[in-house]
Amino acid sequence: MFKKLIKKSAGKSPWLFHVNAGSCNGCDIEIVACLTPRYDAERFGFKLAGTPRHADIIVVSGPVTSQTKERVLRVLAQAPEPKVVVAVGSCPQSCNVFKGSYSVEGPLKNLTHVDVEVCGCAPKPEAIMAGLVEATKILREKRGEN
Amino acid sequence: MTMILTILFYILIFPGLLFCVTAGLLLSGIDRKLVARMQGRVGPPVTQPIYDFFKLLGKETIIPAAANKKVFLTAPVVGFISLVTIALFIPIKLFMPMSGVADVVVILYLLCIPSLALIVGGAASGSPFAGVGISREMVAIIAYELPLAIILLTVGKLAGVGGVTFSFDEIELYQAYFGPNIAHWSMLPAAVAMLLVIPCEAGSHPFDIAEAETEICEGPLCEYSGRPLAVFKLNAALKTFVMPALFTALFLGGMGTGRLWLDVLIFLAECFAVMFVSMTLPHAICARLKVEQTFKFYWTTVTGLAICSFALVWLGV
Ligand code: SF4
Repeated sequence: MFKKLIKKSAGKSPWLFHVNAGSCNGCDIEIVACLTPRYDAERFGFKLAGTPRHADIIVVSGPVTSQTKERVLRVLAQAPEPKVVVAVGSCPQSCNVFKGSYSVEGPLKNLTHVDVEVCGCAPKPEAIMAGLVEATKILREKRGEN
Repeated sequence: MTMILTILFYILIFPGLLFCVTAGLLLSGIDRKLVARMQGRVGPPVTQPIYDFFKLLGKETIIPAAANKKVFLTAPVVGFISLVTIALFIPIKLFMPMSGVADVVVILYLLCIPSLALIVGGAASGSPFAGVGISREMVAIIAYELPLAIILLTVGKLAGVGGVTFSFDEIELYQAYFGPNIAHWSMLPAAVAMLLVIPCEAGSHPFDIAEAETEICEGPLCEYSGRPLAVFKLNAALKTFVMPALFTALFLGGMGTGRLWLDVLIFLAECFAVMFVSMTLPHAICARLKVEQTFKFYWTTVTGLAICSFALVWLGV
């Protein structure tokens, strides 16, 4: 009975941890906008966690600069399984306007496995919500496997 | 034989483990939903804390290399056990399954243990964020423990005709004969003080200085993940039930209806009302206080209210 409940709960209470990998702050503001009364991500059970140890979904924004690369990888390693990585904004996908800069080490998918990508500069809160809901589906699948 | 079975029933099902866990999880779910509605949001479903709990059970448990493994894992369980024990001792109207075993002073001690478990667990995790959280939690304990002790003394003085009583039986019987304690106007300041002690004890919003997730990464819980974290979250949910239940027992007791199921329903409704006033409303309208603000608030305003009531009762007004 507990196994079934655990499986069911896996997608219903996703806690987010947000990593800023050198973003211009545009995406970060949009992520916060998702939590405001207008979009209210909490209705799906999303909650902003204070530490990667509590996280189910790691949200990365920004093009991954040389300074942040090591930190991003460390945060990803600190999160317990099952976890899902969501890249928000065009920056982690393609480095966007920062492409070719001497201090940029992205895109993120060269460094780690990315489950969901949300495009846009900055993406609309609606798009981020859609991406996060997609992430909960992946979470549920991952839970079903093990 | 039947006696052992009854006691097991009390401990495991009602009013122990199963009952208080369900009540705690649902009450904290209602709390979250109401806060969301008051902020103009849709809010999570009422069953959200249950999902949270089971999700955390299914997550990987990481034990940091710097942690003391045994203490790290047992601390949450110790806190949990003491909270269930409190739920066992709190009378529901005149229904007292463990009457005579424990009095109010024991409750005062047991209430300390979950917070101490948080401190010990945080210290064992070896994280600097936990270190900051621990010192804050200690300040919080010192802040609310003084007014809480005075409130219990006041109730004991009122109920103990002539002397001071700490027994739940006498407090409940007194309320059954003379009406709930809150109806005595000299007890009103103490009731308000108790309402203010509840959120700090339960670590809910304006006074959640120890677990400030935006400042110090959830403090003592920083390194916890998976099952031990699930138990800590369960402890927090249990406190949202146990603290209002204590208030209800001390101030809103009385005759009851004689039918147990009706009494339990009334008791739960009263717990909900107390939770709404003392935890949900402050959560929705206040921002988190600073450590020294919390301390000052409890040692001046709340303690003042409690002492005021104590003096009134002592003088017999
Ligand atoms: S995608 Fe655009 S808004 Fe987002 S971090 Fe990059 S530059 Fe800023």
